Amino acid sequence: MLLFPLVLFPFLLLLLYFIVRPRPVNIPIKNRHVFITGGSSGIGLALAHQAASQGARVSLLARSLSKLEEAKQSIRLSSGVDVSIFAADVRDYDAVQKAINDAGPIDVLVVNQGVFVPQELEKQGLEEVKFMIDVNLMGSFNVIKAVLPLMKERKDRGPTSIALMSSQAGQVGVYGYTAYSASKFGLRGLAEALQQEVIADNIHVTLIFPPDTDTPGFEQESKVRPELTTILAGSSGSMKADKVAKKALDGIKSGSFIVPCNFEGQMLAIATAGLSPQRSFLMAFFEVAFIGICRLVALFFQWNWYGSIEQWHAKKKEK
Amino acid sequence: MVLFVLLLLPILLLLLYFIVRPRPLTIPIKNRHVFITGGSIGIGLAIAKQAASEGARISLLARSLDKLEEAKQSIRQAYQVDVAIFAADVRDYDAVQSAIKEAGPIDVLVVNHGVYVIQELENQGLDVVKFMIDVNLTGSFNVIKAALPLMKDRKDKWPASIALMSSMAGQVGIYGYAAYSATKFGLRGLAESLQQEVIEDNIHVSIIFPPVTETPGIDEARKNMPELSKIIVGSGVMKAEEIGKITVDGIKCGSFSIPCNFLGQTFAIATAGVSPQRSFLMASLEVVFAGLFRFGGLLFQWNLYGIIEKWHAQKKQ
Repeated sequence: MLLFPLVLFPFLLLLLYFIVRPRPVNIPIKNRHVFITGGSSGIGLALAHQAASQGARVSLLARSLSKLEEAKQSIRLSSGVDVSIFAADVRDYDAVQKAINDAGPIDVLVVNQGVFVPQELEKQGLEEVKFMIDVNLMGSFNVIKAVLPLMKERKDRGPTSIALMSSQAGQVGVYGYTAYSASKFGLRGLAEALQQEVIADNIHVTLIFPPDTDTPGFEQESKVRPELTTILAGSSGSMKADKVAKKALDGIKSGSFIVPCNFEGQMLAIATAGLSPQRSFLMAFFEVAFIGICRLVALFFQWNWYGSIEQWHAKKKEK
Repeated sequence: MVLFVLLLLPILLLLLYFIVRPRPLTIPIKNRHVFITGGSIGIGLAIAKQAASEGARISLLARSLDKLEEAKQSIRQAYQVDVAIFAADVRDYDAVQSAIKEAGPIDVLVVNHGVYVIQELENQGLDVVKFMIDVNLTGSFNVIKAALPLMKDRKDKWPASIALMSSMAGQVGIYGYAAYSATKFGLRGLAESLQQEVIEDNIHVSIIFPPVTETPGIDEARKNMPELSKIIVGSGVMKAEEIGKITVDGIKCGSFSIPCNFLGQTFAIATAGVSPQRSFLMASLEVVFAGLFRFGGLLFQWNLYGIIEKWHAQKKQ
C-alpha cells in the first residue's frame, strides 16, 4: 500500500511540472517602477519601504497629501530614497489617470487601497456598503484601467506585475463582513479574468491575502467591530504590516497568483484554490494532495463558527 | 489498502453527518410568498413559473412595466395564478424598499437580476464596469437590505430563504469577464457572511451557479463578445426552465451552493473552499474528490492558457 503513493507522487509532480499555467516567472523590482495605491499608511507604506530598500523607484498614491508627505519623509529617513507622491481618490478616474500619467511607465502596480467597516448588513448603512464597493472594487478597476494601456505599450518587454491586495475575508465570508468580503471576493474574479487577458503582454497578476494586520485602518475597524466578528475572526492570528509586506513583495517577485501571508492563510489558500491558476508545480502538488484535508478542516471551522454563533445568541437571549 | 479506504469512508461519513453546519432543512414554498428580482424574463421568469406551478404566491420586480405585464399574462395563462408586479430599478433603494413594503412579508427572496457585458477590461468602458457592479452587486445589497427587516420579523416562524443568482463565471474568472466575474464572485462573499448573520432568524442563504443560459439577453451579449471568450466558453446552453426547476429545488433543500449541471457540480466541489455545506453526503464527496477536481482545475488552466497562446500566435500571423 505504501508503494502506491511512492510511485504516484513523483509521477504527479512530473505531470504537474509540465502542465502548470501560466508558466513560472521572476519579476525583478530593482531599478523598476513600483506604483502603490493606498501607499501612505499601513501595508502600502510597509511595501513602499521594502521596495525602496530593494532599489525600486517608488510612487505612492493616496487621498491625503499630508499623510503622503509624512510617508515620503519616513522613507527618505530609513532608506535615503525619494519617492514620488500623488494625491488622488481612487474613485475619481480622471484624477487617477492624471497621477498615473505623471508618474510615468509602471512596472509593478500594487492596487492596495482599501477601506473596511465591519457590521451586520441589517445594521449597516447602504452608504457604507457603497463606500467599500466603490473604493475596494470599482476603485481597483479605475486604477488598473488607467495603467493598462501604458503597461501594454512599454518599451522594456520584461515581465511586469499587477498585484491586488485582497484579504482572508476575500477567501471566506464571516459575520459582519458582507460588504467587505463582497468587495474582496470580487477582486479575485477580476484577477482570474484579467490574468488571461494580459498574459500575452507579459503582465502577471498577483492576489495577496493578509489576515488582520496591525495598521491604522485596523485600529479604526476594531473599535466598531461586532463582538461576534471578533470571536470568529480570532481563529486566524494577526500580523505586523512589515511581515505582510515582505510576503507580498516576495510573492510579486515570483509572479505567484495567490499569496498567503501566514500558516492559516496557506491552508485557506489551498482550501480555496478552486479553479485559480498555479505557477509552482510544487505548490500545485500540495494543493492536489491536501485540498481534501483542508476542506475537512474548513467544515470543522464552520461547525465551530456556527456553534459560536448559536452560543452567543443563546447568551444574549438569557440577558 | 482497499481495506483502509473501506474503513475510513464510513468514519468520514459519520463524522460529517454530525459536524455539517448549518444543519440540513427543508424550506416549503407552497402557499408562501416568493419575491423575484429580474423576474420578468429569462431565468427569473422561469423561477416564477416553477414556483407558481408549486403553489407559491409570486411577486416580480423588474425595470420594465411592459415586460412585467407580459410575464404576468404568461403566468396567468399557464397556471391560472395571479402574480403581483412591481416596476423598479434595483439601483434605486427607495423604489426597491417601496415595492417590497407593498409586496408584503417575503418568505423566499430570489435576488436574480443581473446584467452582463463581456469584453476585455482594456476595451471596456468604466461606465459599463460600473453598470455591472451597481446592478449585480450593489443592487443585490439594496434588495436584501430592504427585505431583511420584514423577513426577520415575520410571523410564521417557518424557514425563509434568500437566494442569489450567481453564475459559473462566479466560480472561475474567464477572459472578457473581469467585471462580470468580479460582481458574481462578490455575491459569494456576501452570501457566506450573510448566512452567518441571519441563521439565528431561520433564514437560509442559497447561491446558484448556472452556465450560459438561453435568455433574451444572450444573443446581444454573444454579438459583442470577444472571439476568445466565445472559444473558451463554448456554445453549450441550458434552458431557462431547467435552471428554474434546479433553483427552486435547491432553495427548498436550503443548499448553500446550487450548481446546475455536471460541469457546474465539479466546479462547485473544486471551489467549495470554506463555504458551508448542509449535506453530509455532499460534504464527503467534497473531501474525497476536491483533490481530483483541483487537478482537473489545473488541467483546465493548462488548456485555457494554451488556447489563449494559440489564438495570439494566429493573430500575429
